[in-house]
Amino acid sequence: MVNFSSLEFLFRFLPIFLVIYFIVPPKHRETILLAGSLIFYAVGEPVFLTVLVLATLLNYYLGMKVWELGEGHVVPPWKIKKRKRIMIAAIGIDILFLAVFKGLAVFVDNELLPLGISFYIFKMISFQADLLRGEIWNKPKFKYTALYFTLFPQVVSGPIMRYNEGEFDLDRTCGTEQFEDGLKYFILGLGMKVLLADRLSILWNDLQMIGFQSISTPLAWLGAAGYSLRLYFDFWGYSLMASGLMVMLGYNFIENFNHPYASKSIAEFYRRWHVTLGSWFRDYVYIPLGGSRCGRKRLVLNLALVWLLTGIWHGNGLNYIIWGIVLGMLIILEKLFYGKYLQKFPVVGNLYVLVLIPLTWVVFAITDLKQLGIYLGRLFPLIGGAGVAVNQQDIFRYLENYGIYFIVGIFLCIPAVFGFYEKHKKNPIMIILLNVVFWLSVYFLSSSSGNPFMYLNF
Amino acid sequence: MKWIKKCPTLMLLIGLGLLFTIIGIVGRFTIYADQKYDPVTMPILSVMFTGMNDDIYPWQIFMGKSSIPTAQQLPEEEQVMAVQESQETAATPTEGISPEPTMLPEQEDTAFEEEQLPSVSGNSVSENALPDDVPDGGERLQPLRKSTHEEYLNHISADIYGDAGVLRAASYAFDTVDESYFDDALFIGDSRTVGLRDYTDLSEHADFYCETSLTIYKVLEENFKGLGTVREALENNDYGKIYLMVGINELGRGTTEDFIEQYTLVVDTLHQLEPDARIFIQGIMGVSAKKNSEDAIFNNSNINARNHAIATLADNKQFFYIDVNEVVCDEEGNLKAEYTFDQIHLLGVYNELWKQFLMNHGVLGQE
Repeated sequence: MVNFSSLEFLFRFLPIFLVIYFIVPPKHRETILLAGSLIFYAVGEPVFLTVLVLATLLNYYLGMKVWELGEGHVVPPWKIKKRKRIMIAAIGIDILFLAVFKGLAVFVDNELLPLGISFYIFKMISFQADLLRGEIWNKPKFKYTALYFTLFPQVVSGPIMRYNEGEFDLDRTCGTEQFEDGLKYFILGLGMKVLLADRLSILWNDLQMIGFQSISTPLAWLGAAGYSLRLYFDFWGYSLMASGLMVMLGYNFIENFNHPYASKSIAEFYRRWHVTLGSWFRDYVYIPLGGSRCGRKRLVLNLALVWLLTGIWHGNGLNYIIWGIVLGMLIILEKLFYGKYLQKFPVVGNLYVLVLIPLTWVVFAITDLKQLGIYLGRLFPLIGGAGVAVNQQDIFRYLENYGIYFIVGIFLCIPAVFGFYEKHKKNPIMIILLNVVFWLSVYFLSSSSGNPFMYLNF
Repeated sequence: MKWIKKCPTLMLLIGLGLLFTIIGIVGRFTIYADQKYDPVTMPILSVMFTGMNDDIYPWQIFMGKSSIPTAQQLPEEEQVMAVQESQETAATPTEGISPEPTMLPEQEDTAFEEEQLPSVSGNSVSENALPDDVPDGGERLQPLRKSTHEEYLNHISADIYGDAGVLRAASYAFDTVDESYFDDALFIGDSRTVGLRDYTDLSEHADFYCETSLTIYKVLEENFKGLGTVREALENNDYGKIYLMVGINELGRGTTEDFIEQYTLVVDTLHQLEPDARIFIQGIMGVSAKKNSEDAIFNNSNINARNHAIATLADNKQFFYIDVNEVVCDEEGNLKAEYTFDQIHLLGVYNELWKQFLMNHGVLGQE
């Protein structure tokens, strides 16, 4: 049920929750949302709800200490010092939480990683830092803080909203037009996830089924492109659903993707891809370390550290660390050497991104390093040599089966398409189109879960 | 009216949702009665969509249930005559996959009698619901029992034949052949056969009519992309061998009886269309131990039950039963883990094992 693109969520949790949310008087809506979020999490992982609740209580308690020590017009130096110490302790505890569970997941069992912990811990860290920096203007109420940490649209995979962006103190206007707007984002995201990402993920599964040693070089490249599109629409789709839900509930739209594939450099790509994670690392790691203001050596070190952490954050395999290091190196090289040329010649920059990013996703995708080596060998046969039992015609079969998803996917990578949508989203044709997308998604969800002999085709 | 103006998307969504719900509820009593539906996790409207997957469309509500092509009916009397409530097919041993070459046809009768297995006699066939034109005197085995209603409901394929058919089929001494043997061969199958076509050189010799998600129910009607139907293939070509491997996709559908009935119909039709061709019934390839232990439908006990059934069609004259599981499975009868990524299909390179197996299981000489 914690999956937005599931029948349980769409037809059980969401409608029941929405009806209750809008029936109760506005002043109780936050309480309903908090209760709904806790139920949502409990259905997903009842045991780890305790971890979420414990971390919430602890962070609120320490956060209030930080707040109280900073009250008043003149804050004496000892208080400033103490504040800082408490905040560091709070962040230390948060990191410890994350590290312990990540460690358990890596060395004991993957099942021991609590749902969404990477995301809600990052929210908690930003909460503490924002309190200390005075970026939270009103004393946070417990209800709001708990809501911020546990919000069901964001608790599983972000976006990593900042406390301020929640505007918890303001009176919420839950107008019908805003609801309609949010619903549209939600449907777009659902369509991207179910109709594009889920279809394209079958292609990647097919390649694994065949075995990387037996795929032709053109198919290896198609696979890399397919995986890139699948990841993009999976995550962008999810983010649109999450942000759409927030808008429906009367909150702000949190942008997590800003057409990254139109970027002209890797650095730009990651300013536009998973925006809330990138800005989190910028604000709470990179800038506190001195950012780019402390000379070249320090800049390189800071970037390397940020990208190493990014790699570790993303998963439990060695390949994620390699992925982070490769990206960090590319970004450092851009900063030091050729970044400005890429911006000057946009076509070169675009091509550079469109070739390199799918290659980095291959590293991201394949957790087994030996298999990764084989795949890279198939991408570059001059280095990797011939495969085993390769069918040279395989590309045509896959183009025939998946070509349509590539066409639609690439089309949606063009920023102007989304601009066109924003301009015409009240057009009746667009409204009908959105309904088609929704019910087509429900069709795919139904036929892949309800019917036992159709859920897999061999 | 104000609402329709302000949030038309939501209103249309709710309107269509209500319409589909009504269709689902009404159809539940008629056309969607067979659709699996779990009220806790699914909206009732989803039966309309699962129905569409089975070629059942909403407007057929008005045409009555008779318009539905139903493939899974359980005869009422079978429920009454339900054998032993807990026939645990899950515990069915996976032996019988390995051949018993010492068993000669002459020994069969006595051996079967001792084990209280069905007798191989021509006259018992007439009681069976097989087509009239069963070839070669119709030495086809009879089931030991019937599937129970519980087994049907739980998608358990009942092992109604035991391994008698497998043993009889394995008593045949197959010949080793070379690739040119397949020059007049036709392969029919699902995605597993697609792998054989794409990752061995057999397709340079034989014709392949195979498609992902092919079932025994579709074999004869399916219009294979760019090729046409099997019927057309048999009319336009002169095949000496027909290889068939289907059965995994329909594991969750109907009972072993439904499956074997359709399978019999298909092989007899193939025989009718191409009387001189030898028909190789290939046992359904098993799944890996991981899949076997996790999946209530796609597991090896269901596969073995159905293999036991189709093996009974082999007469070692015109119909042969061969089982590639001999070379791709471990001692427990599970597909070897290192041969597969998705627990179901052979990795491209390991289709070679299958090809070699086929080359070791040829039938030479005149009939």
